[in-house]
Order: sequence, then structure tokens, then C-alpha cells
Amino acid sequence: MSPAHDDSTGTSTMDADANTPSPSHEPVHMQTPALNEHMTPKPEAAEKIFELTDVSVRYSGKLAVKDVTVGIGTKQITALIGASGCGKSTLLRCLNRMNDLIPGATVDGSVKYRGQDLYASNVDPVQVRKRIGMVFQKPNPFPKSIYDNIAFGPRVLGMNKDRNLDEIVENALTRASLWDEVKDRLDESAIGMSGGQQQRLCIARTIATNPQVILMDEPCSALDPISTSRIEDLMNELKEQFTIVVVTHNMQQAARVSDMTAYFTVEVAEDDKRYGRLVEFAETETIFTNPSDQRTEDYVTGKVG
Amino acid sequence: MSQAGAVKAKADATASVFARSRPRYGELVIRASLVIAALITVLTTVGIVFALASETISFLGEVPLHDFLFGTTWSPLFEPPSYGVIPLVTGTLLTTAIGMIVGIPLGVGSAIYLSEYATSRTRKFFKPILETLAGVPTVVFGYFALTVVTPWLRKIGIEVDAFNALSGGLVIGILIVPTIASISEDALSAVPQGLREASFGLGAGRFQTSLRVVVPAAFSGIIASIVLGASRAIGETMVVLLAAGQRPNLTLDVREPVETMATFIAATGKGDIPTGSLDYKTIFAVGALLFVMTFILNIISTWVVNRYREEYE
Ligand SMILES: Nc1ncnc2c1ncn2[C@@H]1O[C@H](COP(=O)(O)OP(=O)(O)OP(=O)(O)O)[C@@H](O)[C@H]1O
Ligand SMILES: [Mg+2]
Repeated sequence: MSPAHDDSTGTSTMDADANTPSPSHEPVHMQTPALNEHMTPKPEAAEKIFELTDVSVRYSGKLAVKDVTVGIGTKQITALIGASGCGKSTLLRCLNRMNDLIPGATVDGSVKYRGQDLYASNVDPVQVRKRIGMVFQKPNPFPKSIYDNIAFGPRVLGMNKDRNLDEIVENALTRASLWDEVKDRLDESAIGMSGGQQQRLCIARTIATNPQVILMDEPCSALDPISTSRIEDLMNELKEQFTIVVVTHNMQQAARVSDMTAYFTVEVAEDDKRYGRLVEFAETETIFTNPSDQRTEDYVTGKVG
Repeated sequence: MSQAGAVKAKADATASVFARSRPRYGELVIRASLVIAALITVLTTVGIVFALASETISFLGEVPLHDFLFGTTWSPLFEPPSYGVIPLVTGTLLTTAIGMIVGIPLGVGSAIYLSEYATSRTRKFFKPILETLAGVPTVVFGYFALTVVTPWLRKIGIEVDAFNALSGGLVIGILIVPTIASISEDALSAVPQGLREASFGLGAGRFQTSLRVVVPAAFSGIIASIVLGASRAIGETMVVLLAAGQRPNLTLDVREPVETMATFIAATGKGDIPTGSLDYKTIFAVGALLFVMTFILNIISTWVVNRYREEYE
């Protein structure tokens, strides 16, 4: 990977799938997998949108996370959990090539999105990020009006040419359950909103660009329980249309919202180098009730870190 | 309050827990010296304004304000003298405008390049070069304009006079690039990385991110750098003295020689003019006008910044 790819043109395969609705229309009852499990297809069986094989990431040569092999299901919520420093954010940022922005970050192994290698030399990271949006740990609204925050993505992507911008903005804010709170102050600066509102604004901003996948890095870590539960509700609604990958330190949150959970840990090599490893990847229920690895059990039951 | 302090305070039951054990002389000294430093700055400014004002008022006792501000002939040293400052003002504005046309795109462009595109290694290479450029004495720039730029303009087919506004203006533009670039770059670098990530995360490219997110967020700093550049351009003396000549010339033709306000002050001030004479006061009157122009520029920029700034915190 190198920033030089920034200039390469978007690949036609990726352009093609952007606007095509995904072939799998999941039944509505997918929303509550735990309740009627016997009727629901197992989360494990879902079609994979990402296939990661032996992914290792280094920062300036220093290994941060090693040999991760994992498949992420379409229109599911996948949670990444584990102690601080085990490489959750690092891995998440591989999924939309956000790591390209960090000088010295290198990715080995293969990250496939719908069968296509995201790190192939002809892939334009900008095209990748148009389809795979990201919500960050710290709410980062632009210092612009609420309206302009939401309209930013659609304007950049030229979506306002075939659709009314006002409509896109209202729609995104409504889906992020923010519309009623802000509809009278759309031209006020987003910086004046509360932290929870800002984070929902950031989610709405991502929804407005109509991505295929939303990556969330600890989206609720700076929020109070009420804002948190609103965002969790939101994630549950969003998964009907989007695939979500979420990093969280909150075990209950992972248990509540996710279909699949990946548990990472920090491994210490003989030469005292530390790097993240994937310990277990399974259905969330399994991870929390019947994990196959002792380390997972210790972590989810709170015995360690 | 430290633990030790709390224990000590308890021992002395009558004293407040928060009582100070001894006066802090060190703090007082530091504070006093800071206040003095601030006062010196303020007093110097007041002193300059006062000197300018008193001589200018005395000048206006001999030359009517209207003749000074709106007269179109500037020949204070000839008989009969004429004190219309307009040719000096147009000369100043002409060279400044050329300078800004060159300096703003180059300065802001390099700042965006350095902050948004360059790798840290390129940045480490370019920044010292810019700072060196800032350290070159302006007289060197002046001779560069006279002996390199003017012949070069003629070579590419622009029929400039030996002294001309264009050459001086162009070199003023180069002169102010470091000022604009380095202050703009500081402002751009100060924009939180989170905003860039948000923009990239929405599928914006590097150019869109720079133009739509980073530059607007750094807007007040960029304007500040431009105003500082403009102030330098307006007040720049050596370059125009050497390259643009000393002929008070009411023209917009950049190929002709012009005299700027700063040039007049420098050129006249170096001659032996008796203190208190009208010629002496003229220098102060032109200086006061220069001061007022820079001041207005600052007011306009403050207004622009308040009107358009995007505050990120
Ligand atoms: N920009 C960077 N440059 C260098 N090293 C980094 C960078 N970002 C992360 N690292 C290193 O990579 C490792 C994994 O970091 P990462 O941020 O992915 O962990 P994490 O699991 O997200 O932790 P947390 O739960 O605290 O957010 C850490 O050792 C960290 O020091
Ligand atoms: Mg993290």
C-alpha cells in the first residue's frame, strides 16, 4: 500500500456494486436473533462481505496485530472486543484503508471486500471509503452547520445531482433519530450540540452517503447510558440496510447488539514484543455463554482486563 | 492540597487548611516582569502613534487635508510644492496588489502542500528553505528585482522601463511568501486530525478534504497570514526603492516607474532635512497615512475572520 494509489482511477467492479442492492434480502425477524433462534438462519451462515486472510499490520515495521483471519457477514453487526492495545482499531481501519493516512502503516495478508482485494494496486482508497464509511470514537463533526455536516458527503460524492439535498439531509437525520431535535436549528453550528447529539450527527452524516458498510470505533465511549442506548437502537435499525463492524470495550454492548463477536488479546513474544492476536471469532451468544477458549471466558466474565 | 500540607495544617488547628505558608516572591517577580514587558510594548506603540499624530497635525496646519488626500500631484520638494498624496497611494497599492496576486497563491498553496500533501521528510526539507527566504535582507531582493527580474521581463516581451512597478511588485510577492506560508501552515496543521479522518471516511479525496474541511477550519489563520503579508507589502521599502523607482506617477500601467509611500519616506528621510521643516513634517504625514491604511486593513480582516470563521472547538 502506498499513497500513490490515491491517484489511480476507481475500479469498475467496485463502481458497479455500489448502487446495486445486495442480493440477500434478509427476513425481518433477523432483528431479534436470540428470541426465535430456531427460525433464524445462524448468524455464522450469513454471506460474507469481508474476507480477511492472515492480515498483519505494522506501524513503521513494528507489528501491531498479527495473522488475523476472519469473515464478516453481510448486514450483520460484528463486534471486535479485547483489551486496550490489542489492535482492534488497527484492524478496523484496514477495512476502509484508513490506515493509509498513517505514515509508516503497512498491511500484509489479504483483505477482500466482495471478493475484491482492497489492497490491490489498482484500487483507489477514496473509492473504497465511499462505500465503507466510518464513525469515530470521539465525535468529530465539521465546524459547519448541522445541515452542511450531513450534506458534506452527498456533495462530495455528487449525489445531490440526482436527488434533492434537503431530502437527503432530512432522511439521514430522521434515521439517526435526530431530526426532531435539530429540525429548527439546521443552520446552527454542529459544534454547539451535546456529545451524544454530535455522535448521532456523525452517524447520520455517514448514513447520508449511503455506504454499504459502517465501521464504528467505540462510538459510545464518550456518551452517557441514554445516548448509548439510543445509538444501540440505531445500530439495530441500520443493520437492515448496512453491514456494521463495531469496536467496543463495553461487554454488555457487544452482547446486546452484535451477531458475531471477535475477541482479541495482546500476545507477548519471546523477545518481549507485543502484538494483537485474534483468539476467538464466533456467534456472540457462543462467545458470551460458551466460549471455546479459556482466555475468552476470562475476559467476558470479567476475570481479566 | 498535598497530603503533607494537609497534615501540617492539621497540626496548626487554628490555621485554615488552605493558608499559604509563606509569600511567593518568585511568582511576584515573574508577574511584575511580564507586566513590564507588556507595558513597554504598549507604550512604544502609543509613542509611535503620538509622534506621527503630532507632526501630522502640524503638517495639516500648513497643507489643507483636502489638498493632501485628494491632490493628484506629488512634488513636495519642488517649487511651487504640491502635496497631493494620491500618486504615492496608487503607487503603493499597485505594487502591493501585484505582490498579493503573486504572494497569496504561492504562500497559501505552499502551506496547503506542506501541511496536507508533503511527507514529513519533504516538510523537513522545505520549511528551512522557506525560513531562509524570510531571512534574506530585502535589499538583496531589491537588486534581484532590478538586475534579474526586469531584464527577464523584457526578454519575455514585456516592454518595462528600467524602473517599473511590475518588477518590484513581483519580487514583493516572493518576499511575502514565507510570511503567508508559514503562518498559514501553522493554522492548517492545527486543524484536528479527526476532521480530516471524518472527511476521508466519507469518501472525500485529499483535495476535497483540504479545500472543504481543512482550509475553512483554518480560515482565520490564513486570513491573518494574508493580512500580515499585505502589511509587509504595503510597508516594503527597499525593493520598490531599487526596482520601481522614485517618480510619483499617477498611473495603473505596471510597466512605468512609481513611487510608493514607503519609498518616499525612506528616500526623503535619508537626505538632510531640518527638523520641524515642512519637508520633515511631510514624512510624518505620509507615515501616518501608511499607518492608517494598515490599520484599516487589520479592521477589515478582523471583520472577515469573525464573519466566516469555522471554529472547531
Ligand atoms: N498511529 C500509530 N502509530 C504507531 N503505532 C500505533 C498507531 N496506532 C496504534 N499503534 C499501536 O498499535 C497497537 C494496536 O493499537 P490499536 O489502537 O489498534 O489498539 P486498540 O485495540 O484499538 O486499543 P484501544 O482499545 O485502547 O483503542 C498498539 O500497540 C499501538 O501502540
Ligand atoms: Mg482503539
